[in-house]
Amino acid sequence: MLEGRRISFSYDGRTRVLNSADFRLQRGEVVLLSGPTGSGKSTLAKCICGFIPRSIPGVFEGEIWLDSTDTQSLSLSEISRKIALVQQDPDSQICTLRTSDEVAFGPENFLAPPEEIQSVLDSSLTSVGADYLADRPTYSISGGEKQRVTIAAVLSCQPDFMILDEPSANLDPSGILLLRRILLELKEKGIGVLCIEHNLDAIRPAADRILWMEEGRIHADSPSKSNQTSRMQDLTQPRLDGRTLLMASQMTFSYTTHTAVENVNFSVKPGEVVALMGDNGSGKTTLLLLLAGLLKPQRGAIQIGDVLAGSLSKSEKARRVSVVFQNPNHQIFERTVLREQNLTLEALEMDDAEHLEKSASLLLKAGLEVFEKKNPFSLSHGQKRRLNVTSVLAHQPDLLLLDEPFIGQDSEGRQFMIEEILQRVSAGSAAVVVTHDSSFAVTCCTRIVFMQEGSILLDGVPEVVFRQLGNIGKSEYLPEVSE
Amino acid sequence: MKDRLGYVRRDSWIHRLNPTLKLAMLVLLLTSILIYPSWRFSILLLALVLMGFRLAGVSLKLTRSRTKFVLFFSLLLLMFQVIITVNGVVLSYLIPPLGGFGPYFPVTDYGLQRGLAISTRFLFIVLSSMLFVSVTDPTLLSHSLTQLRIPYRYAFALVIALRFLPLFDSESETVRLAQKSRGIAPSVRGFRKILRSIQYTFFPLLISALSRVDSLSISMDGRGFGYTSERTYLRRSEWRALDSLFLLLILFLFMTTILLSLGFLPELARFL
Repeated sequence: MLEGRRISFSYDGRTRVLNSADFRLQRGEVVLLSGPTGSGKSTLAKCICGFIPRSIPGVFEGEIWLDSTDTQSLSLSEISRKIALVQQDPDSQICTLRTSDEVAFGPENFLAPPEEIQSVLDSSLTSVGADYLADRPTYSISGGEKQRVTIAAVLSCQPDFMILDEPSANLDPSGILLLRRILLELKEKGIGVLCIEHNLDAIRPAADRILWMEEGRIHADSPSKSNQTSRMQDLTQPRLDGRTLLMASQMTFSYTTHTAVENVNFSVKPGEVVALMGDNGSGKTTLLLLLAGLLKPQRGAIQIGDVLAGSLSKSEKARRVSVVFQNPNHQIFERTVLREQNLTLEALEMDDAEHLEKSASLLLKAGLEVFEKKNPFSLSHGQKRRLNVTSVLAHQPDLLLLDEPFIGQDSEGRQFMIEEILQRVSAGSAAVVVTHDSSFAVTCCTRIVFMQEGSILLDGVPEVVFRQLGNIGKSEYLPEVSE
Repeated sequence: MKDRLGYVRRDSWIHRLNPTLKLAMLVLLLTSILIYPSWRFSILLLALVLMGFRLAGVSLKLTRSRTKFVLFFSLLLLMFQVIITVNGVVLSYLIPPLGGFGPYFPVTDYGLQRGLAISTRFLFIVLSSMLFVSVTDPTLLSHSLTQLRIPYRYAFALVIALRFLPLFDSESETVRLAQKSRGIAPSVRGFRKILRSIQYTFFPLLISALSRVDSLSISMDGRGFGYTSERTYLRRSEWRALDSLFLLLILFLFMTTILLSLGFLPELARFL
């Protein structure tokens, strides 16, 4: 058994991220740990795996027992043989260029003989349903496949316990189904799994218990939270006045090695909230970048308002269309939160009193005004994500394009984003949101566009699209009926 | 998938050569071309590298936009040398005499030779490094370096660099798109604006790199990296007879260039 007793931790010696947290994890048990962002979940994971206090400095109190051993007496390598950690972003964790090298990496370090490495390599890949990846380069496999490879790469060290941090974050619905199966497989193998997750609905069916973390403490049994969104019909009164904000016709875009978007027709009208859905790799992000005019289609044309996108100046395009990218770090440029918030206004020479006031009120609403003078890079992931959204809204763009805005957001952050999107839309804009979140699609969107292999497969109101998805055997995309 | 810098897996004999040997060949060839800057010698080596691309089955087109830039830059180097060098036998003029105008910018044999020497050397340095990276499996390279008693912690740094190079490449592209979408245009008007453009590109990349370094070190330490000073290897590099042959060849070539550069082989120097 793995047991944490009164664990407290503080990075700076003042604010406690963990505050006397207790937990127990048995072998062969899947426990789901959820809670708001910044409540200390990832920090707890680093404590359990021994990185805190061994390689990350801070003030640590409490005890972590592995069966009858106090882990304080063990070295990092000794702990890591028993307790494995899979962190959030698979791309940052893969350190080799071939899947089999990656999975062999752990056993090689632990001096396993080559024959043994080969056999744990095979069995680990089988457990995550990834035998077919063994010989593939790690850079050319999909995000979901990378996620499975990182799990296999710690599984090959044959740990007794495994901590997974937000494993569902980058997965499409079929990837989530597969993840549930992997969790059950781990359980079957007698591994104790602690799964840190915001998206409760994703993991709940595979979990034995749910723990809730808040302000550094763990409470058994959570309040029954879920990512169901309350209906907000009053906000989404689409003002369909016949105008078209953006129209793309017969658009095709290829990268050097493959065609990502093929012959796509797409248009958006004011008042529309479009959920852009589909499997990972189906071309959603590429389509979004094309709509933003950031990529140039090899064939086809995009019209923004009444003019061709190609004839608009860069700043005019930026004024009309706002984009929020996936990784918050890639879209923060300034040294303080306030400057970051007003950066677009300045760049577009719209920094007049009225817009600056609007900008400040957005910051206030996001709960970020207290950080005004802080470096935006020092914010938490969730806060950065909110700043990404507020910093592209102040100049009141006609069209909002968001790529997976809800990943890593707690229910409060999610709610904030939804409100901002809907508010902008009810003021006459439109939004296109790339997401796997079907509950958002069904409650807040006026339309769903479902992509498959670079083309639009379905396009219509949510009820109809979900019915059709059910008919063609893609039931994993359907919103789960709340109990 | 975008153009990707890095290892291209093929099954050619160049791929199968021992990775450390390939590294040694690269280093020795680069040294040779720097100590013996003759345009004939550079063209000869350049031809060998181009043949290497062909034999390895690695297409230069894979990195098309980059190749274009490299070619353009080497042409620029050539032109520059031709224009600034006025000594030597005049072959012709860039701007021929037209009525009372000209002639301007004489093209001399010496200028042409100097230009060729510099531009082909530049091309050789870039293309041979590209070839090395595309035909060398980093995992095997790290293993073969440990065979030379280099601690695996250092040998592995190469693997990591080659693993993350393409990732940073694609990240800088995303950052550029994000700047564009926010209405930020890179500007070179004025020192402050240049600084700003640099800040807007490097801050996001640096932060993203640092956060990756954190995750990566946790991921590697968490899988026993550094558990002991030794480790085992599932895939091992090998040393074959062909490797010995190439080692002899490259050493011979290197010795020859040293002698050439010291002026000991005047008969050969007439041709190279």
